[in-house]
Amino acid sequence: MSSGAGREQVFPTRQVLGQMNSKLKGAQTGHSLLKRKSEALTKRFREILKRIDEAKRKMGRVMQIAAFSLAEVTYAAGGDVGYQVQESVKNARFRIRTKQENVSGVFLPQFESYTKEDINDFQLTGLGKGGQQVKRCRETYARAVETLVELASLQTAFVILDETIKVVNRRVNAIEHVIIPRTENTIKYINSELDELDREEFYRLKKVSNKKQRDQAASDKEMKAKRQQEQQNGVKKNDDEDEEEAKDVLGEHEDDDVIF
Amino acid sequence: MEGLYFNVNGGYLEGIVRGYRNVLLTGSQYGNLTQCENIDDIKMQLGPSYGDALASLPPNPSTSALADKTTEKLVQDFRYLQGQATGSLAKFMEYLTYSYMIDNVALLITGTLHERDTKELLERCHPLGWFETMPVLCVATNIEELYNSVLIETPLAPYFKGHLSHHDLDELNIEIVRNTLYKNYLEDFHHFVNNDSEMAMTPTGEIMSEILEFEADRRAINITLNSFGTELSKDQRRKLYPDFGKLYPEGMLMLSRADDIEGVSLAVSGVGDYKRFFDEVGLNQSSSGVGNMAGGSGAESKSLEDLFYQKEMELSKLVFTQQFTHAVIYAWVKLREQEIRNITWIAECIAQGQKDRIGNYISVF
Amino acid sequence: MAAPPSAYRDRQFLAVIGDEDSVTGLLLAGIGHVTDPPDSQRNFLVCDSRTEKSTIESAFNRFTKERKDIGIVLINQHIAEKIRDTVDKFQEAFPAVLEIPAKDHPYDPEKDSVLRRVRRLFGE
Repeated sequence: MSSGAGREQVFPTRQVLGQMNSKLKGAQTGHSLLKRKSEALTKRFREILKRIDEAKRKMGRVMQIAAFSLAEVTYAAGGDVGYQVQESVKNARFRIRTKQENVSGVFLPQFESYTKEDINDFQLTGLGKGGQQVKRCRETYARAVETLVELASLQTAFVILDETIKVVNRRVNAIEHVIIPRTENTIKYINSELDELDREEFYRLKKVSNKKQRDQAASDKEMKAKRQQEQQNGVKKNDDEDEEEAKDVLGEHEDDDVIF
Repeated sequence: MEGLYFNVNGGYLEGIVRGYRNVLLTGSQYGNLTQCENIDDIKMQLGPSYGDALASLPPNPSTSALADKTTEKLVQDFRYLQGQATGSLAKFMEYLTYSYMIDNVALLITGTLHERDTKELLERCHPLGWFETMPVLCVATNIEELYNSVLIETPLAPYFKGHLSHHDLDELNIEIVRNTLYKNYLEDFHHFVNNDSEMAMTPTGEIMSEILEFEADRRAINITLNSFGTELSKDQRRKLYPDFGKLYPEGMLMLSRADDIEGVSLAVSGVGDYKRFFDEVGLNQSSSGVGNMAGGSGAESKSLEDLFYQKEMELSKLVFTQQFTHAVIYAWVKLREQEIRNITWIAECIAQGQKDRIGNYISVF
Repeated sequence: MAAPPSAYRDRQFLAVIGDEDSVTGLLLAGIGHVTDPPDSQRNFLVCDSRTEKSTIESAFNRFTKERKDIGIVLINQHIAEKIRDTVDKFQEAFPAVLEIPAKDHPYDPEKDSVLRRVRRLFGE
């Protein structure tokens, strides 16, 4: 076998050949499908990469603005609100839920943010001083977190797509470089074996017919000799029998009535 | 007549404070600060006023480190004054520290309720509000113990007693506790400056009354504005208003009934200054409420809080036109605090590259 | 391949590891959550220069591996830098680990685990 892919261990029969042929066909179809899937995913992947890059840059800006609004709170409240905030935390107001998006058969999760309006742990923070800034800061940060959530979706999509594309590409390569050559080799092998069998059969048949002809010739000869001998012995006897039969036809047998 | 003996006890300190006042940053110095490229430049610009206090900062320090160091300097100066003070002045300065103590106690209560690390808590306390028995508060394991130790160990006991029970500590939002304390503190302070034998009927009483009334009004207005849309009921809100001030009693009553910003502005319309503030911010308050930070828009419009700060600074500045009064110390502390806020703000703007809003500081000199 | 729905259905919270200002801001946005007592767990960790590396690491592992209700972990980049190995090693899709800038530490795309993977992919 020429390729290093080897071949499958099969009996070289016509049935197996049929199986192999359909397998090859299947592999080729699968290959082209997977290849197309990989291309679609990669396209999507590149799109996401571009968006990640943008989103990360955007995040930098958004977070800066948010951090600045916190500085405003510090300025207005005239002190550190951090500890107060940390201790007031009870329930998350800002939550996420996940849904799926189907890209070429891959489920990409998407985070979606929502707020529980009834939960507000900080409504009294800065009551005496700086409350308005705290409120504004809360809104600014909420928007910033939305951007972050968006980015997180992209990033998760990125990680999953990366993984999937690797798997798909591995499969494409496996089909292209292993399964298809191996099946082709097997088919070649079966074909050559079958040809060999054909040739053997042909030769055998030839041999058989040769022998048959020989036997025929011999038996013909024998028959011929036998006939000649018989001819010489039985010529007279034949003449008697002919006369008797002719007489019969004209004999006085009554004919059957003919009824119409 | 009242000035005759003032200098026996208060003259030295007043002199010192006036000296301190003269090194407060001026408008042109702020102008220089805003031109700085980084925090190191700011540090250098602050050299004449703050000197050694900033020397230990690492190169290009964070803004919070800068704020800490400048506060430290304030505390040092304050402690020096306190060491020299006698008689009613000593008491007066103690009153000054109570407002910081309220913040500290509120912090400790929160921390203790959540069983946080004591050491960390104490580090976060404002140094001006430090009192010796503070660490004792952190030992408490349950609310009742905590409440008792607050009553026994802190100078704030009168503000708790009769107004807050140990159940309240557990159930009420800490912000309500804090504001209740603050209300009691303001009332007590107001009572003190007007009834103390050494201060009543002196310029101190007069000036401090004005300042404290302003403070009381400011808190009442802020609390009202900030309570819209929260769980704070009108009754509870009413209880947080101090029982004095220019708005007291009619304005406060109207405030307690206000449902929206218009109601508040109606309630305060009896006092010229506040009416002016509301007229100034009235229009942009509603429009800039949401999108203000979106792109640094609304940079020119001052918020109500800014105007209050501005007013507070003007009042403090005016105090220095008076003589023979303790109020200069109060005014100086407030001016210094504002200065620290200004420095922090400018440093923050520079550090975060938001130069377009750098002019938001308040300079009165 | 697509993660089974059970891997993320319950993930409704965000978690954050960061310096005081970042955490405060994000908490103000409302992401903070403390689970019910007795073993109340917070979904945030405040770090400063003195915070031990092991503390950060254990918080990171708790958020990423133990808790099944966290969908996104936000971490300040300069803190991620301290435990870079752990962050780099974590390559699962859930929860998503997002490096965010801090006030004093502007964002540097060069250090981001994910963006570095991006660059590796393109062989840059």
